[in-house]
Amino acid sequence: MRLLTVAVLAAACAAAPARGAPRPSALTSTAEALSDALGPPAEGRRALALAVEARVPSLAAPVEAAVEGALSRRGYAVTPLRGAVDPEAAARAGGQDWLLRVQAGLVPGRRELALVGELVPMWASFFLQRHPGARAIPPRLVQARADADPETLLLGREGRRAGAPFAVVRRLARLDGRVLALAVGEVPDVEGAAIAAATPDGERLLSAAGAPIAARAADLGSARPVREPAAVIAIGDYGRGRVAVQHAGAPAGEVLAVRDGRLEAVGALVAAPLCAGEAGSLFGAYAPGTGALLDVLSPRADPDARPRSPRLLYRVAAAPRGGGPIAFAALGQDLRLELLDAGLAPAGPSLEGVGAGLALADLDGDGTAEVIASAPSPSPAPAPRQSTPRADRIRILAPRAAAPLLLESGPIEGAILAGAAGDLTGDGLDDAVLAAVVATPDGGAATDLYLVTADPREVP
Amino acid sequence: MTRPLAATLGLLLAVPAAADVPPAYGGTIRIALPSAPRVLDPARAVEPADLVAVRALHAPLLEIGADGRLAPGLLGEVPAPEVGGRLFRLRLAPGLRFSDGTPVTAADVGASLARLLVREPRSPHAWVALPILGADAVQEGRAASVAGLRVLSERELLVTLAFPLPEYPWALAALPAAVVSPRGAGAGPFALATQDGREARLAANAHHRRGRPFADALVLSGPDARGAARALRAGALDLVLRPEPAGGVAVGSTPPFLATVAATSPRLGAGAVAVRRVLAALDRAALGRLFARGPVVPLETILPPAVVPGAPPRTEGGPAGPLPPRLVLLIRAGAPDQRALAERLQVKLFDHHVRASVDEEPPARFAARLASGDYDVALVPVPILALAPAVAAGEVAYAVRGPAAARRAMAALAGAPPAEAPARLATLARALEVVPLVATGLRASATPALQGVAPRPDGGVDPGDLWLLGGGAR
Repeated sequence: MRLLTVAVLAAACAAAPARGAPRPSALTSTAEALSDALGPPAEGRRALALAVEARVPSLAAPVEAAVEGALSRRGYAVTPLRGAVDPEAAARAGGQDWLLRVQAGLVPGRRELALVGELVPMWASFFLQRHPGARAIPPRLVQARADADPETLLLGREGRRAGAPFAVVRRLARLDGRVLALAVGEVPDVEGAAIAAATPDGERLLSAAGAPIAARAADLGSARPVREPAAVIAIGDYGRGRVAVQHAGAPAGEVLAVRDGRLEAVGALVAAPLCAGEAGSLFGAYAPGTGALLDVLSPRADPDARPRSPRLLYRVAAAPRGGGPIAFAALGQDLRLELLDAGLAPAGPSLEGVGAGLALADLDGDGTAEVIASAPSPSPAPAPRQSTPRADRIRILAPRAAAPLLLESGPIEGAILAGAAGDLTGDGLDDAVLAAVVATPDGGAATDLYLVTADPREVP
Repeated sequence: MTRPLAATLGLLLAVPAAADVPPAYGGTIRIALPSAPRVLDPARAVEPADLVAVRALHAPLLEIGADGRLAPGLLGEVPAPEVGGRLFRLRLAPGLRFSDGTPVTAADVGASLARLLVREPRSPHAWVALPILGADAVQEGRAASVAGLRVLSERELLVTLAFPLPEYPWALAALPAAVVSPRGAGAGPFALATQDGREARLAANAHHRRGRPFADALVLSGPDARGAARALRAGALDLVLRPEPAGGVAVGSTPPFLATVAATSPRLGAGAVAVRRVLAALDRAALGRLFARGPVVPLETILPPAVVPGAPPRTEGGPAGPLPPRLVLLIRAGAPDQRALAERLQVKLFDHHVRASVDEEPPARFAARLASGDYDVALVPVPILALAPAVAAGEVAYAVRGPAAARRAMAALAGAPPAEAPARLATLARALEVVPLVATGLRASATPALQGVAPRPDGGVDPGDLWLLGGGAR
């Protein structure tokens, strides 16, 4: 009996993956899948020349190694071809049975590694011996994909071309109504990163491309009126849901989850969810009767947390990825941006004149988040309606003293009043999304979402 | 709503947060007005400074939206006319409170409308309540309560008019229709903290229906033009609302809604028509350009062109007697530009061999002399607070000739198609024996830190929407 028990346990351990065992890398997974798709070699035709091309040169050699290993394990005799001008001619000259040409790259907009292989027969056709280039049988296409791990994302990330700008700004989507706050993050059942937007009427969840996924109409019946609507929204770990929101004037925050294509309240929060990143979530509170935040930055939802100072805040932002020196930023009504580390200690000099369309994002992957913000140019003169529209700009500032300007966009119609950051293009690095509120011809408002990214695939 | 008015609104109203930063809360906003506010009761305020203060302290029943249409205010919805425009159900929005925390009820609305009809002291804004059934009986002392006001519930008031007036909700959007609590508290964005002869200090009202205002406090004062310009330059003021520019950043001007009409007295007899013909022949554009300090438009009808598009002035027909050799020109003290206009009229009348003497009287004495006919020609300034022609015509008629004339004027223009309004107003001007002259407004000069300056369509600035960059951290 004892022996039987041990045997059963051993069998179970062998069948289930060992707990804590590292997942195979994306390179290994795709190479194995591609090799599976090829199948074992036919008897007598095992010699295979392997030519790998990648959009990013640094990805080619690791892919070659992974595919070579996977094919070898399936019985192929693999000869890598590197730098051949005409791989087909080179393979034929080398007496190979097959040529496998593999193209490798990251799928735009998704954090996936994709391999596409073309298997070409190299032996001469008995019937077409006078045509040396003729193929004995038609070539085959095989392909494989796998989620890209950080190492693969690093290898697959395209370098910036000489003379290319630090980042690009492009319009992502237009939403009806006025967006008050944005958040970016991963939400269950949503592929890739999602964008959460709070509007005066409710909340919306969008795909990374700006397509609608789910929405909810807010019930603000019990909310105290505020002269200017405001909200905070964050995507993080909030228990039963990943999206947390609080509208100014509302008695409490809410936790939302996607259910049947709709956003539904699944919990309550006793403090306002200000932002969330890898360094954690921050909670705060609105100044009573206003749309401005008290200077409360608490890592816990603590209704009794005390303000750090009497100043009022417009926004608090979190850097999506931890580890860098800057984890959070708090923007006061005085347009002074305070940079904070994960322990909420100052992480550098404050930046002056920062706009309320704000995000912290490590766009270039150097480990330190940049400040992506609108460029405030308030004017006391009323804006004429339906004449010259107001224009704003997006600026990328290095988080150092004097805030060197890394990029300034051209004029953007509207007023940019909200922002958030996360990996929206799937290249493994942060991007930012900012919301510009524009007036519509019918006297209403709409919001244009702008993507700010340093992903070279986005550079025209 | 006329198209010119809609165009005016389009130019002057800004969407909230039109600046590239969201509004900031906090700070004290200091505003200089043509005079220090004195009368803070919406039933009695007529001076521009008083009207600005009243706008800060009180909330009208209806608002005027950015599209120039009526919008809910204290009333949760714009009342629809019933029974051919004689019946209106006024339903208050839920949860309203005065600045002292007491709830706003339908009884308060009824009482606020009824107090416009008290005989002593007479309200200059009784025109708001005059169309209500039984208003004349209260005004004449024949009844203690207004028959046309019936409280149906805590939040609903039934208003029955004496004659059809589909435009009556426009009267409810005028500032004098603001609701005042039995203890004198208002429901505006601010509450009175202190007041003396120099300034009024107002504190934010946390109970305002749109939420507390952005600023913590307002200080309203009335320095002279030079002092205001100096203080604005030194950063001791945030906004100057005066006829003349005061430096700083020019942030537009209020629509010219202070209409000045010249009324002739019955005591001139047959000579009145001749005097009106002389006044009607004046070049009003030049009169305004040369003798008014602020933004000015010539009046083609008794109402500003923003309310009714202008029409060529019509020469009054009929027989006219000889011009009187002498006459008394009555003007009100304290009203901007009235003295300059009167002196110009003196010159023009002298050209016709009429010697005119100018009598400048304080407001109460001016009103008494006007009511008793103790003048030959009176320059009557009327702040046009209602934007519907029928209601605004009643406002002018009430200011010049009293309640009966006001009712007749409102009835005459009730439901008038826009195309007919100029002709009916011309007829009304003859009936009232007045000559329209000019309408003037105020210029707004601000510091760069002041945001949210958007003159309202009725000529005021909503102080609750003003805010300071950085929340007033100086």
